[in-house]
Amino acid sequence: MTVEIRKAASGGLWKHRHFYLFIAPFFLLFAIFGLYPLLFSLYLSFVKWDGLTPAHWVGLSNFQKMLGDDQLWTALGNTVVIGLLYVPPMMILAFLFAQWLNAPWLKFKALYRAAFFIPCVTPMAVIAFVFQLIFSSEHGVLNYALQHLFPWLHLSPIPWLESESWSKAAIAILVVWRWTGYNMVLMLAGLQGIPADYYEAAELDGASKIQQMLHITLPLLRPTLAFCGLLSLLGTLYMFDEIFVMTNGGPGSSSTNFGMYLFQISFDDFRLGYASCVAYSVSITVIVATTLMNRANRRALDEGRR
Amino acid sequence: MKTYQRSLAWLAAALLVTAVIGAVIHSATRLPAAASAPLAALPADQVSGDVTVWSWSPAADSLEAIKPGFQKRDPNVHVHIVTGARMITRLMLSLSAGVGAPDVTQLQRSDAPHYIATEQFEDLTPVAQKYQALFPKSVWNDCMLNGRVYAIPWDIGPCAVYYKKDTFAKYGIDPSEIHTWYDYIAAGQVILKKSGGRTKMLSMGSTALANMYEMLIQQNGGQIFDAQGRVAVDSPQSQQALGIIRKIVQSGISANIQPFGPEYLAGFNSDSLATYVNAVWLEATMKGMVESYPGPKAQWGVFRLPSMTPGGPYVSSLGGSVLAIPKQCKNKAAAWAFIEYALCTNEGQIGMYEKGIYPGLLPALDAKEMDEPDKFFGGQPVGRLFAADVDKMNPLNRTADYGQASRYLTQALSQWYADGVPNRDVLGPLARRMSRALDRPIAPSTIGSAQ
Repeated sequence: MTVEIRKAASGGLWKHRHFYLFIAPFFLLFAIFGLYPLLFSLYLSFVKWDGLTPAHWVGLSNFQKMLGDDQLWTALGNTVVIGLLYVPPMMILAFLFAQWLNAPWLKFKALYRAAFFIPCVTPMAVIAFVFQLIFSSEHGVLNYALQHLFPWLHLSPIPWLESESWSKAAIAILVVWRWTGYNMVLMLAGLQGIPADYYEAAELDGASKIQQMLHITLPLLRPTLAFCGLLSLLGTLYMFDEIFVMTNGGPGSSSTNFGMYLFQISFDDFRLGYASCVAYSVSITVIVATTLMNRANRRALDEGRR
Repeated sequence: MKTYQRSLAWLAAALLVTAVIGAVIHSATRLPAAASAPLAALPADQVSGDVTVWSWSPAADSLEAIKPGFQKRDPNVHVHIVTGARMITRLMLSLSAGVGAPDVTQLQRSDAPHYIATEQFEDLTPVAQKYQALFPKSVWNDCMLNGRVYAIPWDIGPCAVYYKKDTFAKYGIDPSEIHTWYDYIAAGQVILKKSGGRTKMLSMGSTALANMYEMLIQQNGGQIFDAQGRVAVDSPQSQQALGIIRKIVQSGISANIQPFGPEYLAGFNSDSLATYVNAVWLEATMKGMVESYPGPKAQWGVFRLPSMTPGGPYVSSLGGSVLAIPKQCKNKAAAWAFIEYALCTNEGQIGMYEKGIYPGLLPALDAKEMDEPDKFFGGQPVGRLFAADVDKMNPLNRTADYGQASRYLTQALSQWYADGVPNRDVLGPLARRMSRALDRPIAPSTIGSAQ
């Protein structure tokens, strides 16, 4: 029985060799540049290696060290706080903008869409230059605007990038500005995928705009929202360039998220073994979390259908 | 479901096997460092071949400039200067792979101990020993390990104060009366007051305080690591340095802007900053920014670094680089011939000085070229000013962990700045953190005997 199966399998391989040949380039490249580094990094999780001198096998001691690494826990904590600060406003803004751009009466749609999308394709170096000027506590335009727009509040200049409590907020503002347009485009695609008949039917039945949004738009947009949420979750974890150029993780380590921390231990400290171990552990946690989230989401969808 | 589980198990097994194979291949393909004959200096007619040098801009341009001179001395050696982005990453990769490293490479002076500790660089002691007395003692510290020489000092970064002459004149400040940091702060307060808070004395970014700290502890002989490599950051010298930084911050004369950020660069041509406290290599950036500015330009001058105590030591340095020969180099005699010409002769060093690279060679610092008036600074011979007392600089013990230590320092100081905690509350925890993370003991502390 097994022999027959094997024969069939190898026969199939030979029979369809042309097709396999055509798809081979991807698998070859993936094996060299994707799979090999991935597996090598897994091996690195169990060694001590600075990238230059020979690696030493240390078994599970990297994992043990991880548990007592307060910097890692601080970084993960910061990641959660930064995520909570920017994901809700970003998603709400993106949804509102998408709704607005989806309105049939709006003119110059392409122009607005491009305008909202431009921040996420602008090079980070340029953004950093401009935002340093915006956030500066010396001559920053944001503090100037706050003080002049709300003179009755008597605000003192906010040390956006120099204080441990404000640095996360500054990063969150930058991220909202940068990524709202991207999420908006995703949501716009989701909105355009909802058949217009549903709204017509609802209108005939006398449903208000709010009711239409709550009972048609939001439920049908749920997969898109879940996708955007997932992307933002991963984005927060591995966010790097925004933080690197604005605060370099400081002051102290107040704005060091997981991505920044990973960069520091690998490319400032050259603790490549330990960094691999941390990266693997967190990735596995994230994979488990997203699988659970997806499953919950699917269940909710199924229940909704029933 | 069963097939699903089975394929998962297969996948996991395949992954494990591949990981093991990958590890084996990796360790098997690591090339052993090329065994080589001990380095010896040969007469010019016996040295020949190609030498590839990795360097980055603007230093690479200065090497290019002295190539003709070297070619005259060693006509059989052909030098190729390679420059580009991320040279240090490329170097790391080539050292790690065991192939592809250049014959000669530039290293940041502060990074040199880290690279030297990897034992991937050629021992230059036999050929370099005779030049030891020709460089300031302090710079050798970053080029040596266990008494052996692995790199040759290139440019050095003595520090001074660049100031706007017209601003000083406008507010009645005489730079020749600024001797100590306290004089400097007092002058800054006058400028701040008379300008209505518009002009600050200097920029001191809260996330880049480690530079200022490092500059100050070189003045009073402080250390991050002691000679045995123990953590020595919690010392009276550190307290004194932090005391001065705190005074500067509290007096309101410093602007919290990041070095080389937009506001820092704008300060060269606006009235927001009166001075820049930095190393000799800032000149290139400054001249570029000022000369390309279309509006009215400030008149610039330089005065020596203020000291901590009246008449006390004042010299200090930031940055600088070295040249080293990776062990992979096949033609070490030729590589050394180029380094020797570039760094150990007046001709090479002065040739590079004319391209803006400040020499580390003491005889070059005595050369008449240092006395040439600099038009940019209103005819002031600033080369001579920076050269003064460079041989009296206090060496820093950087160790292979300097990069990591300096990050902890930056983090701790930015936190200290933001929260305003007492000096002692930042240095103690910092020392403990460094000790824990770097696996180095804390040097016997001398807290309490602060000067």
